[in-house]
Amino acid sequence: MEIMRAEGLTKTYLMGEVEVNALRGASFSIEEGEFAVILGPSGSGKSTLLNIMGGMDTPTSGRVITEGEDITGFSEKKLTGYRRSKVGFVFQFYNLMANLTAEENVELATEISKDPMEIAEILKAVGLYERRGHFPSQLSGGEQQRVSIARAIAKNPKVLLCDEPTGALDFSTGISILELLRKVNREMGKTVVVITHNADIALMADRVIRMKSGQIIDNKTNENPVSPDEIKW
Amino acid sequence: MKKTDKMLFRMISNSKGQFAAVVTIITAGIAVFIALSMSAVNMDNTVKDYYSSCNFADLYVIAENVPAQKIKELEAISGIGLAEGRIVLEAPVITENPKERVNVKLISSKSERDRINKCFLLEGRWLEEGGKEAMALGQFADARGISPGSKIKVQASGINYSIDITGVTANPEFVYLMESEQALMTDPERFGVLYISEALGRQMSGINGANEILIKYTDAADEDAIIKSLEKQLKSYGLKQIVKKEDQMSCAVVQDEVDQINRMSSSVPFVFIFSAALVLIMMLGRMVKRDRIKIGILKAIGYRNRDIISHYAKYAAAAGAAGGCLGAAVGIASAGGMTRVFLEYFNIPMLRTEFSISAVFAIVAGSCLFCIAAGAFGSRGVVKISPADSMKSEPPKTGKRILLEKAPVIWRRFSFSQKLVVKNIFRNKKRAGFVLMGISLTYAMMLFTTSMPGAIDDMMNTHYLEFQKMDYIVSFRAPVNQSAVSDIRHVIDVKHMEGKLEYPFEFENGTRKQVVSIIGLPGNTEFYTFRSVSGDIINLSKTGMFIPETLAGNLNLGVGDTVKLNTFIPGKNSAHIEVKGIVKQTLGMNAFMDIGYMGEKLMEKNAVNGVYFNSGDDKIYEKLSGVPQVASVMSIEETRDSFVEYMSVMNAAIAFLIVFSGILGFCIVYNATSIIIGEREMEFSALRVLGLSGNEIFKMILNENNLLMAAGIALGIPVGMSLLSSMSAAVSTDMYRFDMAASPGAVAGAALFTAVFVYFAQLATYQKIRKLDLLAALKNRMN
Repeated sequence: MEIMRAEGLTKTYLMGEVEVNALRGASFSIEEGEFAVILGPSGSGKSTLLNIMGGMDTPTSGRVITEGEDITGFSEKKLTGYRRSKVGFVFQFYNLMANLTAEENVELATEISKDPMEIAEILKAVGLYERRGHFPSQLSGGEQQRVSIARAIAKNPKVLLCDEPTGALDFSTGISILELLRKVNREMGKTVVVITHNADIALMADRVIRMKSGQIIDNKTNENPVSPDEIKW
Repeated sequence: MKKTDKMLFRMISNSKGQFAAVVTIITAGIAVFIALSMSAVNMDNTVKDYYSSCNFADLYVIAENVPAQKIKELEAISGIGLAEGRIVLEAPVITENPKERVNVKLISSKSERDRINKCFLLEGRWLEEGGKEAMALGQFADARGISPGSKIKVQASGINYSIDITGVTANPEFVYLMESEQALMTDPERFGVLYISEALGRQMSGINGANEILIKYTDAADEDAIIKSLEKQLKSYGLKQIVKKEDQMSCAVVQDEVDQINRMSSSVPFVFIFSAALVLIMMLGRMVKRDRIKIGILKAIGYRNRDIISHYAKYAAAAGAAGGCLGAAVGIASAGGMTRVFLEYFNIPMLRTEFSISAVFAIVAGSCLFCIAAGAFGSRGVVKISPADSMKSEPPKTGKRILLEKAPVIWRRFSFSQKLVVKNIFRNKKRAGFVLMGISLTYAMMLFTTSMPGAIDDMMNTHYLEFQKMDYIVSFRAPVNQSAVSDIRHVIDVKHMEGKLEYPFEFENGTRKQVVSIIGLPGNTEFYTFRSVSGDIINLSKTGMFIPETLAGNLNLGVGDTVKLNTFIPGKNSAHIEVKGIVKQTLGMNAFMDIGYMGEKLMEKNAVNGVYFNSGDDKIYEKLSGVPQVASVMSIEETRDSFVEYMSVMNAAIAFLIVFSGILGFCIVYNATSIIIGEREMEFSALRVLGLSGNEIFKMILNENNLLMAAGIALGIPVGMSLLSSMSAAVSTDMYRFDMAASPGAVAGAALFTAVFVYFAQLATYQKIRKLDLLAALKNRMN
């Protein structure tokens, strides 16, 4: 069952005095429960795409349909509601609140959710229950990313959108994060969308969408996704 | 506790210095406001209580001699509850020092049986009928070391009386003891009041009735109707003047003081609150900018704009609440002491302090609301942040040349580091504008403070060296023929002498009325120099009169207008006199006329009731004490000295204001510099990585701030001038008029004080530069 569909997305914005065409008519769809990887080099428009899918940005033209609704026509209020309940974000640089502990960072999300998950359960799931009282500065990069994932899933969203989740991590930590995301996908039943420039990560995906210069150049399902521990880069 | 609130507390904890700086500004503003307004309320309540407990008179009727039976009949007038007669006379005190001039007002009293203006016995005993006894007024007793058992010698109608002091008393009529309106200041060593028995009063004055009647109204009294009835009924008893309670000298001075404190309480604190709001707007604006990614994340998670704005507004609310509570505590603690300081100049034997919890609560709540509004306004930028954009690195700002670069002749003269400093300032105009505004506000407050001593000096010099130049003022018991001037001239050695005619009249212009003394002077007077409002010297005209600009304002009069003068002289009718000029008078309030014209129009031809003279004679008091028509002698030098002494208490207020203004400047600059360091952490870290020392970076900020300080001071001069002009109006009363102008010394002094506090603030931020974690700053996107 389709959970998200993009139709002819374009996005043009100004970067200083330069006009950037970040998306040039991107169209694709993702099925519920899939682990999708959007692959592309730096500047290909994948972050812009993810932001639009997550209701953080609006396209210049085109539509994003989730569960039958076009979110591109949403008001700011409805977009906030969408972000609050339907999607969770994981960022490359974790973006945790520096003055909140790991547990409090997760609570930050559960507080505003109508159907949150148990915080302790999530922290145990990401392997950080013992370090829940630590501040981000007291955690390693991998641990911070686990907190970030815990925060994203704590609201119990259907879709998890991850922007280069391993980009700032070393290989082994990166693999452990991918394993966690796989766990979230397979055991919790969340649809996970990961954007990356690392082609090796695509090996574990159910669906691989390739991007270049703001366009989708390939979109196919992977019949034999591998386990994260088999990935090497 | 909500997590955003937890973030808030930790945010406050991580920026303790900045938060404390805002709280300090609010504390200062609220403390000054509460201390001043509570002092005004306390003073007002205390005075009202005192007036009520001593049954303070509503009306003073001055006549020549009214029999007791007639006074009793006055109580039949509708609205009059009580009427009580008394004998009042003035007499010189005979002291061991012949050069010393001491006058007393002797007032007959029924001792503890007085029904109006009852004495408040402080020590000793009440008077006994028949004895040569007196109760001395407290201020006079304190100043001259008089106590029960002392003796005092006075001379009345040429006879010396040795009077026993039985007690020391206070009286609501002399809360502020002043010999006359011309004396301007209290001088209890040279002027006092003695309460004597009615029998002794009759003996000393030769009056068998009463020459003053005190009136107390019933609850529903029509003052104007009562005055008209009194004028009618007392016409044949030599009615001279009727003075309303609010025009009674002491009552008017006390009310002026309360009004002045109220005016101060509604102006000075708002500079602080306004500054706090500015600091909050600036701080939160910068915080929102700094927390761009954090806000993006919160939005990405699903927080609404209003949730995030309320998060920042809570920071402001916390500052408002903390500052409000602390300010209230400091203000309440200081109010009692401040009231006592104010009351030190007034003789009130009781103090009523009132603590209104609801008023304090309202002020604290007001402070919070004001801060919340400032916080919400400051953090309004939250709305503009798109979660997606916040994740991207900010695009570089459009680079362009600053205005100064377009003037290569100047620009080329700058060294590279100087150019860097100037460019940094222009790079963020809002930030620079904030520092500039803070420094100019501080400077304006400092300029007001440093200008005060000069303003007082100017006021004194203008009045005593330019406006009036006599050494002594002699008042006669009654108007006499001008030939009396020659009599005085024969008694003492004078350099120059002029006769004067001085009498109070009620000025009436439409519904506006005010009692003011008119002084008649020779047309070619050498003792007065009149200056018009524009500063030109003008000579006294043969007809019409000059009025001071304060009176012109009060009565809405201009040159060419005709004013009705209601007389208090028995048998004389009201007259209409044209205003020929509006003149500057810094101390006191009088109108001036040609003595011949005044005598002809308002009194008697060729009449004088006093003289002005200059003299080097050091036995003036001794020589004039034997002249029967002389009622009082006043030395201008002594009056001036007592005024200077009184004004010296202002030094404490000046020091207080310098500290408060300094706190303001310190807090603004500290906050601004902290924000600058926080925002430019990456830049400074990069500079450190390049090899610049912490000191060099601090010097760079110092140079930026120095330039802003210079500009802030330059901008502060006109701001300070406007503050001076508005404060001049706020602190001026009918008694004295401040025309505060900034002297070069005050301008330089204010600049120096501002610089000192600005440097202190910068030194306090030095630690922040020293502690910069350069690698962490370069690695992290979020703080």
